[in-house]
Amino acid sequence: MSSSQGQAIFRDVPATVRKEANFGQRVYNSRFDYLYVAPALLVMLIVIAYPVYYTIDLSFFKTPASLSLANKTFTGLDNYVTVLTSAIFWKVTWQTIIWTVLSTLFSFLIGLGAALALHRAFIGRALLRGLLLIPWVVSAVAASYVWKWLYHSDFGVIGALLNQVGLADGPVNLIDNTTTSLYALIVVNVWKEFSFAMIMLMAGLQTVPESLLRAAQVDGASAWQRFWHVTVPQLQGVSTVTILLLVVQNFNSFIIPFIMTGGGPVGSTQIWITHIYELAFLRQNWGVGAAYAVLLFLIMMVLGYFYVRALTRGDDKRAGA
Amino acid sequence: MSNMDGRALRSEASSCRKIMGVSVALVTVASLMSTTVYGQTVDLSQWSPEYVKSIAGTKTFDTAADCGAVVPNDYAGNVSYWYTGPFEADPIISHEQDKAFWDAFHTAYPNIKTDVQSITYNELLDKFRTALLGNSAPMVIRLQILGGVEFAAKGYLNPITPEDYGFTAADFWPGALKSVTYDNTLYGLPTNNETMAFIWNAKVFADAGLDPEKAPATWDDVVAYSKQIKDKLGISGYGLVAKQNAGNTPFRFMPQLWAYGGGALDETAPNPTYAKVEINNEGSRAAVQAAYQMYAVDKSVPISALTNTQAENQAPFIAGQLGMMIAHPSEYAKMLDLASKATGSDKEVADAVVANMRYGLLPTGPDGKRAVVFGGSNIHVVKPEFVDGGAVDEQAVKALICMWDSPEWSTKLNWAGSNPGNINGFLTDAMKERLDTIKFLDVTTSMLPSGIPFPVLPESPEIMNIIVPDMLQNALTGNMTVDQATDDAAQKIESVIAGGGAGI
Repeated sequence: MSSSQGQAIFRDVPATVRKEANFGQRVYNSRFDYLYVAPALLVMLIVIAYPVYYTIDLSFFKTPASLSLANKTFTGLDNYVTVLTSAIFWKVTWQTIIWTVLSTLFSFLIGLGAALALHRAFIGRALLRGLLLIPWVVSAVAASYVWKWLYHSDFGVIGALLNQVGLADGPVNLIDNTTTSLYALIVVNVWKEFSFAMIMLMAGLQTVPESLLRAAQVDGASAWQRFWHVTVPQLQGVSTVTILLLVVQNFNSFIIPFIMTGGGPVGSTQIWITHIYELAFLRQNWGVGAAYAVLLFLIMMVLGYFYVRALTRGDDKRAGA
Repeated sequence: MSNMDGRALRSEASSCRKIMGVSVALVTVASLMSTTVYGQTVDLSQWSPEYVKSIAGTKTFDTAADCGAVVPNDYAGNVSYWYTGPFEADPIISHEQDKAFWDAFHTAYPNIKTDVQSITYNELLDKFRTALLGNSAPMVIRLQILGGVEFAAKGYLNPITPEDYGFTAADFWPGALKSVTYDNTLYGLPTNNETMAFIWNAKVFADAGLDPEKAPATWDDVVAYSKQIKDKLGISGYGLVAKQNAGNTPFRFMPQLWAYGGGALDETAPNPTYAKVEINNEGSRAAVQAAYQMYAVDKSVPISALTNTQAENQAPFIAGQLGMMIAHPSEYAKMLDLASKATGSDKEVADAVVANMRYGLLPTGPDGKRAVVFGGSNIHVVKPEFVDGGAVDEQAVKALICMWDSPEWSTKLNWAGSNPGNINGFLTDAMKERLDTIKFLDVTTSMLPSGIPFPVLPESPEIMNIIVPDMLQNALTGNMTVDQATDDAAQKIESVIAGGGAGI
């Protein structure tokens, strides 16, 4: 047995056994692995770790528009207090929750429906799959402008159609209306995102064992029972990952609200990410914007933890098997 | 003594006076030449479309020689410069003039090396901020009219005087100089200035029973005309723009607010202090009330005003579905472009709209006050410690600014989108050619004397782009009454200028 073969086998030894080798030895044995990931790690440190550190640092300073960042004043946790005690923050938080929950829920459900429909073979299935992918591949900026015109309160196609079929009489005001604007934007977001859920779930459906479904059918299970008791449990893993990714994506969804309404009317479509942008880049209130961003970062970290857990579920078991 | 004798004596006396006069004039010119290259011969008090046409093409300038008096043409050095030059969407003439300038500069100053970057409008500020933090900024930068104040306040820009570059203060619009003066110190020179004008569709006016060739004289007339158009034709009268977080909103609403006697601060005063909040004075309230009247009561403006920028007004206007709007001089070219792209029956409508497009001065307030936002750009010199290499080549910088802001190039470099920042540019042949080829340019330039810059404060973007649109939206949606909305805005502005921010 050559030494390289020996090393390869050593790496395949279960974790519990490897613990017997000391830490330094293990690091030394994996030195080439560390070397290979070093460039990627370095880039991540520069483009991710440093900005995160800088944002956290900035969140403890007051940064008036008349002062350069070099002259910022340390104010401790003041910026966090400002954010958390602001009535606008809580209004925006509530809007962010509505935006995230409804966008995620409907994207997932519509995506699941589309995935189930497209899982069965029928003529034109490939074409339909391609068509349903269009919203996902279209640029969010372009889509936002198109939807803005579709919704247009004076000349929008949606309003014209509703008038034509007799469901409305006169201009249909969806996005220039403080009550309906957020929901109108959620519709656009769901349209844009459901394809993503569809692709993920279609992949998940491929992993549901055909033998289980047949066995259930032989045992007399109805279509609903087969779906509920066989398909859904098998989709649990991919569903968790999909939902987590949708939640993260929606929390950070900037383009649609910013382009379509700019957060208005009267802040009714303002969500965390657009609010942070407004504070930092339009009002140059970098300190408060940074504190706000740190709060968002913490939430993202929690979601990230669950995402990684969902992705690696069973890895340890497999490693120890 | 005969009459002839008397005439001879008078003639002699007259000759003496002439000699004296010429001598005095020569001495004056010589003394002026010692500090300035260009003497002002434009009379701002006479400014009108006719006057602008009458002075164009009356004077020629030898820019290379004039700037040679400021910095010798054989000077050897280097200069770095960032600006927003012409990009793909800009007309060919802008590209040609830009290239012609750099050719002319290198001909006039063959030993000055240039390091030039043309950066898009949206990227320039952020790139400059980043470069300053890394001490790698250019020596010279041209920024949008209020872009410089943030950097002046933070101590990045060099104080300058027009005389350093061969000019005098009289070579620029007073409003333009005000826009680049922070804390009583001049931090740059205006390179180009423009103002918007009032645009209407003469056919819509005629169909609504209005005089098709006459713009509304006052903002109250705009409210009345807008209602009449809506009532008679069922289309929107005035293209109100009130989008949140959008620069378009204050550029179109502040002229109305100023005309009524209002202001965000005291920016309309001859010597503003920016310490007094006027957003909730009687004039400001009257302007917000007028907007409320059009949007919520008469419903004579687009419902989409709350999410509209000017871009969203262009389609209804070219389709004949909008009667009036405020826009840049270039709007006519935009409408021509839209009409050229239209097909079938849309093409007929669009061509008719272009033919019926009229430009006029912005309306006045009840007291005859006319106002418009003073737009444009300024050129700035960065302090050496923030410049790449830690040094600024002062002579090379002077040569560049002298040429860039000369009457000739200040006109040619702003051919399509603006006007010369150096008002002597209005005397050039290039200006005459522009007036002959750009429709309505005489009208739009006539608004310049009414131009008011936004408050020259680093907090101005927040006041104009956030607080003013918020105030409008609060009033238009009925979220607050007009009084509550203006008081709320006043409170926010007070907080901002006190350094406390307007909350979050």
